Amino acid sequence: MRPISRRSFLKATAATATAAAILPKALQMDFKVFAQEAQNNEVEKIPSLCNGCSSYCGVWAYVKNGRLWKIEGNKTHMKSQGHLCARAHGIAQNVYNPGRVTQPMKRVGDSNNFEPITWEQAFQEIGSKMKDIVEEHGGDKVVWACHGGKESYASQFLDIIGSPNYITHYATCFTAKTNIWSNMVGGMYNPDFDNAKMMLFVGRNYAGGIIPAAMKRITEAKEKGAKIVVVDPRFCELATIADEWLPIRPGTDLAFYLGIAHTLISEDLYDKDFVENYVYGFEEFWAHNKDFSAEKAAEICDIPAEKIREIARELAENAPQAFLDPGYHGLAAHYQNSNETAALNIIINSLLGNFWKEGGLFPAASTSFGKLESGYYGPVAQKGNRADGAGIAGEYPLVEPSRGIPQRIPDMIEKGRARVIFFYSYNPLRSAPEPEYQKKIKNADLVVSIPLDWNETTYHTAHYVLPECHYLERSEYPKVINGNIYWPAAQVAARFKALEASNSTMALLDIMKGLTTAYGIENLYPYTIEEEMEAALGPIGLTPEQLKEEGCIELRPSVLPKDEGLSFGTFTEKIEFSIGAWRKEGYLGVPTWVPPLVEPKEKNEFRLIHGKQPWHSHIMTTNNPYLMAITKEKNGTFMWMNSARAEELGIEDGDWVTVTSEITSKKVQVHVTEGLYPECVWLPSTYGTFSEKLEEGFEQGVNYNDFIPARIDKKTGHVMGQECIVTITKGGK
Amino acid sequence: MANYVMFIDPDRCTGCNACRIACQMQWGLPPELNFNSLIHQETGKYPNVKRVIIPVQCQHCKDAPCEKVCPTSATYTTEDGIVLIDGKKCIGCKYCMVACPYNARVINEQGVPEKCRFCVELVAVGEEPACVSTCMNEVRVFGDLDDPNSPLHELLEKREVVRLRADHGTDPRIYYAKSKRV
Repeated sequence: MRPISRRSFLKATAATATAAAILPKALQMDFKVFAQEAQNNEVEKIPSLCNGCSSYCGVWAYVKNGRLWKIEGNKTHMKSQGHLCARAHGIAQNVYNPGRVTQPMKRVGDSNNFEPITWEQAFQEIGSKMKDIVEEHGGDKVVWACHGGKESYASQFLDIIGSPNYITHYATCFTAKTNIWSNMVGGMYNPDFDNAKMMLFVGRNYAGGIIPAAMKRITEAKEKGAKIVVVDPRFCELATIADEWLPIRPGTDLAFYLGIAHTLISEDLYDKDFVENYVYGFEEFWAHNKDFSAEKAAEICDIPAEKIREIARELAENAPQAFLDPGYHGLAAHYQNSNETAALNIIINSLLGNFWKEGGLFPAASTSFGKLESGYYGPVAQKGNRADGAGIAGEYPLVEPSRGIPQRIPDMIEKGRARVIFFYSYNPLRSAPEPEYQKKIKNADLVVSIPLDWNETTYHTAHYVLPECHYLERSEYPKVINGNIYWPAAQVAARFKALEASNSTMALLDIMKGLTTAYGIENLYPYTIEEEMEAALGPIGLTPEQLKEEGCIELRPSVLPKDEGLSFGTFTEKIEFSIGAWRKEGYLGVPTWVPPLVEPKEKNEFRLIHGKQPWHSHIMTTNNPYLMAITKEKNGTFMWMNSARAEELGIEDGDWVTVTSEITSKKVQVHVTEGLYPECVWLPSTYGTFSEKLEEGFEQGVNYNDFIPARIDKKTGHVMGQECIVTITKGGK
Repeated sequence: MANYVMFIDPDRCTGCNACRIACQMQWGLPPELNFNSLIHQETGKYPNVKRVIIPVQCQHCKDAPCEKVCPTSATYTTEDGIVLIDGKKCIGCKYCMVACPYNARVINEQGVPEKCRFCVELVAVGEEPACVSTCMNEVRVFGDLDDPNSPLHELLEKREVVRLRADHGTDPRIYYAKSKRV
């Protein structure tokens, strides 16, 4: 065949209108003209929601020539208020991350080799394997494990096959908080930064686990004169701007809280009206804790008694415009006493009488969406018992079944309770304790991962990989934007498709349609995402077009300060200092002092604690080149150690050390600092990637989950992630 | 014509690095190239610790040493006071990099010593620079000193301000609030 030169090819195609119509635009014109046109092309602004953490900040994606240029914060959105953190920018650029899975894959043989397959083959093979397993062993052997908190379309499917096993990551993160608040108050309450005169943050670092609008409001309140006290073993990022940093012995925040509560009650500083009207179990609490003075607290938590009393008095002076932040990851899943610590948080705020008060705590404003019916009218199996024992008598009766216990999936498999495991955008091999143990997940009959990238769970355990598209490549069911920080009105926002997928990935709704149809369930989701959006928004009088125009729409204010007639979502409609569910299980109903599970004793022993680094979102961002460039510049993988302890061990900044726990030994470099309580070492929660396909993060630093065994707290099922003693020796590399 | 300046309050900065990456996105920079850095200063002995984080970028000096030393006039100042470099005129001698007291320049992929541009394209249409708009703590305030309604007037009056390496006499357009923590 005679070769065609590019020039003559262009000439020929330009002359043929029909051919031009099917050719890419770039080939229809001279390169210079094309480049000029590309330059002049309009920038489109499309609204979406960041996928970097549970805040789902509102973003505007700027798209030019089909490529993402940048994102900016949505000014209306209550979590971003126009501002974005570093990871939001990074996560957006992950659409071009080389670590993404770009098409369905199937594991080949025993090593970590995968072969590309078509979506159709993937659906058919998974569907028929799952059908065989469910028919032989029952639908309750199917587990759906995910981050939680977003529409996953899984419950419709699980309901039909009879599986109760929807498991979220909460037990590795904050489950003590949500469980206890639900029991004692009937739901979460959130701080009103704008009107507070004193804010006490204990184990809660809004400048590390960032909600941009929270930081904006905290900074503004400080400028107006509000006092900020940060209690944290580490001089965290929030401590940078605080009026006071009080380093505390990790694992003893409960003692500090008991000392505060004791001062408030014994010095008669608490809000008696509020307690009288809205608290159940005050006397029982006081009867069991009246000997826990500030002095006793000081001995345990290493904050002087006089300082504890001073903080309590200042809180009382400013109450109800004063709060103890309800906290997040830091204290709510990591100590043997995390449950009691969460309970005392509620008790202190109640003693300040700040519920529903300006500068105090408020519930989240909310709204509800319309839902489209399923088109499936076939048989529905009865649900069996939960594979993880959550909510089951004799196992973990107090763990909320809606959240579950994600850290012991290999046990469920070994006991034959789980045979088919789905992971949706969830990576317990890196985000849950003891990776070597978690690797046994591979032994299940069928493991299917629906990830964005080649995360550890996908790479080491999945038999099939069904890649989801990037958040900017899909439209999604709308979200109610609320919670974590006080805002009087609920907001509605959604993701709109900003970019065409450049690979063979799919949105979850389409993946679920394919899977369930192949399984033999027809019409389970008989709608498109556009139809679903319209149905969701209809009842609140909105349209997808309006939402696409605004990005985020605020509804009418529905949660405003109230002085009387308060009612809480508990049995007594009061805040219950004594937890009925605990009494039913034979525990004391009120919280009392519980020591941490372990303590460091020897000269080279430390408690290993961890936290979020401001430019990384735990392990979500470890493979992002922009965010890892910051890590490199800031020595971000280093483990923090107090300077006096480092000197004792002859360790200098940048030295390699060997860190050994009861389950592993790893090497890491040390950052020597004045900003850390001496008895502990601190690791950022980001690093230690061990999936070879995530090249940017691979083997950078270590992760706290490497060092802790996969345990389960008996009350709320959390991981007790900071009940870990490590011995540290200099050298090793 | 405008008289652009920036006010930076280091006491508000908590080091999230959003400014760095928002700038990288705005200008299409690769991961390892950035126009603004955060300088951490930690002082004191446990438990009396203080931290100040100082955002540093091109100071857009009125008497810019980089402009003076440039042999081809590639570096120039716009009539609004923004110091820019014309890549087409640059011969890559790096004299400007050496002359800058703030270490503000980096070599870009074309070999040009680039730096913060005060987001000239954004401010021309009345928007804020990317590092300003992304910042949750509102560390930076950008504006036109010739605009009587600019919040800058109040800030510059209310706060004691300093300029980086004032001893060099470069007359920067970035004013820093004097930290109350040092």
